[in-house]
Amino acid sequence: MTKLSKRSMLKTLAATALATACALAPVVPAAAADKVTVGALRFTSHAASFVAFERGYFADEGLEVEFKFFQAAQPMAVAIASGDVDFGVTAISGGLINLAQKGAIKVVGGALQEEPGVDGQMILASRAAFDAGLTSPATLAGKSFGITQTGSSFHYMIHKIADKEGIPRSEITLRPLQKVGAVIGALKTGQIDAWTIVPHIAKAIAAGPEIEPIGMIADYIPDYQVTTVFTSTANASDKPDLVKRFLTAFAKGAADFNAALVDKTASAQEAEDMVRLIHKYVYADRPFEKAAPSIRNGAMRINEGARLNLTSVTDQLEWFQSENLVPASVTIDMLVDASFVETD
Amino acid sequence: MTLSDTPDRASARAGAPPQAESRLQPVPFRGGGFRPVRMRFVGPLVFAAILLLWEAGSRSGVISNLVLPAPSEAFEAFRQLVETGQLWRHLGASLQRLVIGWTLGMSLGVAAGLMIGLFSLARAGLMPLVSALFPIPKIALLPLFVIWFGIGEGSKVATILFGSFFPTVIATSAGVDNVDRSLVRMGQSFGLSWWSIVRKIILPGAMPAILSGARISASIAIILLVAAEMIGAEYGVGAYILMAGSLFATDQLLAGVAILSVMGLLVGWLIGRAERWLLRWRS
Amino acid sequence: MDLLLRGVSHRYGDTQVLADIDLAVGEGEIVCIIGPSGCGKSTLLRFIGGLERPDAGEVLLAGEPPAGSLNPLTYVFQDFALLPWRTVEGNVSLVLEDHGLSAARRREIIQDVLERTGLSDFKGALPRQLSGGMKQRVAIARALSVRPAVMLMDEPLSALDSQTRELLMDDLVGLWQRERFTACYVTHNLAEAVRLGHKIVVLSRRPGKIREIVEIDRDLADRQQADAKLEAVQRDLWHLLRDEARAADRELADDTV
Repeated sequence: MTKLSKRSMLKTLAATALATACALAPVVPAAAADKVTVGALRFTSHAASFVAFERGYFADEGLEVEFKFFQAAQPMAVAIASGDVDFGVTAISGGLINLAQKGAIKVVGGALQEEPGVDGQMILASRAAFDAGLTSPATLAGKSFGITQTGSSFHYMIHKIADKEGIPRSEITLRPLQKVGAVIGALKTGQIDAWTIVPHIAKAIAAGPEIEPIGMIADYIPDYQVTTVFTSTANASDKPDLVKRFLTAFAKGAADFNAALVDKTASAQEAEDMVRLIHKYVYADRPFEKAAPSIRNGAMRINEGARLNLTSVTDQLEWFQSENLVPASVTIDMLVDASFVETD
Repeated sequence: MTLSDTPDRASARAGAPPQAESRLQPVPFRGGGFRPVRMRFVGPLVFAAILLLWEAGSRSGVISNLVLPAPSEAFEAFRQLVETGQLWRHLGASLQRLVIGWTLGMSLGVAAGLMIGLFSLARAGLMPLVSALFPIPKIALLPLFVIWFGIGEGSKVATILFGSFFPTVIATSAGVDNVDRSLVRMGQSFGLSWWSIVRKIILPGAMPAILSGARISASIAIILLVAAEMIGAEYGVGAYILMAGSLFATDQLLAGVAILSVMGLLVGWLIGRAERWLLRWRS
Repeated sequence: MDLLLRGVSHRYGDTQVLADIDLAVGEGEIVCIIGPSGCGKSTLLRFIGGLERPDAGEVLLAGEPPAGSLNPLTYVFQDFALLPWRTVEGNVSLVLEDHGLSAARRREIIQDVLERTGLSDFKGALPRQLSGGMKQRVAIARALSVRPAVMLMDEPLSALDSQTRELLMDDLVGLWQRERFTACYVTHNLAEAVRLGHKIVVLSRRPGKIREIVEIDRDLADRQQADAKLEAVQRDLWHLLRDEARAADRELADDTV
């Protein structure tokens, strides 16, 4: 009796809801979608999310996505910790690890990765330093190196370079300049000697006379997991299904992106469409003709299936600990929830 | 006393009450209050009570570690700074910037303030400029300072210099304006030279205002330290705070902020001593 | 050294404050200038000291100042004008420092002048520690230290209470008898004028003109209180001034310059 009446009541309700929904907007699907907020930076490295949104992959998974744009990765990590944003993509930084240690966030998948054969991050030298003999990373000893902040990915990269070249870390002077723009300015005017940066920026500024490329990051940190997908610990433990659906859609976007711009297996028309799609989000303030080369130049592999290189992440965590930037007590399990994607 | 001596008054003077004893009452007291009384222990007690409550809140989990670390954690971060010897490197770098920037800013500010106070041309020419530039947050000019003075010590010292310059100019010129003109007239009437009048009458007369300006500019210098060390600083209390912020190491952040606060208290105390010594002629 | 004023006139804006003042101050003479408020007597004193210039007329000095005079025309101000951050000694020292004297010579002068004014015990005191009367004694000592030819005293006792004023008048009389200084003494207090002046110049109200010059030839030391003749002089002076004083009293502040 009760069962029946409940069911009939539901039916009536659903019918009314459907009727109203149809009357208001005929295309709304019957099942209400889960609303998620995705934090993003206007960088090509965030393209997988943009593709998944534009091509309806999120909607296919029943996700109603709203983007929230940030100027830097740091506030995005804090926004996820506070629950204002559900998912984000960013490099592994000291801030991220410390938030993970406090139980606020978890890395759930991989995004951007260095890969041999694909143009990756470049090591650059200022004109003055280059002319004075800084023609290869091997001669970085005694030079100054620009970073945004202590504990940023730039900080990690220069130390990995120093370690591989056998230069004591302390022999390279670090210059924290807070913003990418400030580092570019300092490098152009020769106030710092060297820097590393993602390819689309590197290629653009190395085209001028003030800056010379002197090496590739991929040679020093092979398979470097540059950025990762992360979410709040609450999402990872309480809504694993939601996380899975997000990662599925994200991976579809990544696959399209790789095919069009990284592996270039898709048609030229397909690549052009992809650049146009990304241009809606990245360099939107520039005309398409100017933005297109930057977008193409910036294409680095986004992990298939949001696969995560756990070895690289572990190496990064160990480096942060070796520099006392994060507590020694942090384990890889505190940082990563590896249950969602394949790892290696 | 010259009033006529009626028997009534005579008895009053002899000390007997003019009315029945029952109707006597004391005059109601209406004075008192409105005068600060020195209470030495209340300040530290309030401070200690807040710290204790905070610590208890953190330990019991009422205050989430993500929101605010416990005072003991911040203290632990500070202890690590001391143990690793990093404290002295950070403090040394910051104090050097503060001392150079503030001293230069004060000296130039007093000079400019005197000019404005003494010369009508300087007042007409410089005062509008000072009024226009004073309210600009020096942080906004940081990129320009980097271009002008480089990412080394130059831009950091310049930020602090500019920050302490303007309040000093305003305090000094107001101080000169407030010097008792009758003293200047006295100096002239005794045939003192212009320079003697400035040195022996105007400058000491403006000293109270200059010192209260110094109090303000020193606080501003400490506030600007964090901004100054945003650009290219490897060491410094401000750089340490920025690093803690970017690492989301809130315990270190609080330790750094506490160091700044102690620096502020110390500078305030030093200026208080200087005031007591330089202005000992005041009551 | 004598002081001579010839046809001094002055106006502030539209207001004529002084008209045609002719006056001579002889050596060793105290000339008191009295008049209702706003008659320009302080302005006149500023002309004499060279702190302001009159529109017309001239202020002349006759003869050489006494040997060793550092500042022939020296003021004593109503508000004392002592530097609050300097001690008694330091305040006297201030006016000697610009004259290229050796430190030893300065000390000598200071010691001497403080002794003459009975201030030796107070040389280390700051102005805020001194009573009004003591402050004015310091100001007088400071004035004496530069060996003035003429002392220009601008209501020097007006900021003091009446008992202190009596004491200081006695001091000034004693000082004059020893030093025979020349002085221009501006006051609105008739008793002071009668007590200290060899000559009393009565100014009229705006524009300030000389109405009368009263000479009192009795020696300063002999001018006791309750002296019938001096009281008569004082009464006459009051008679001269009363109507103008009343007019000055009823004037609105904005009209005065």
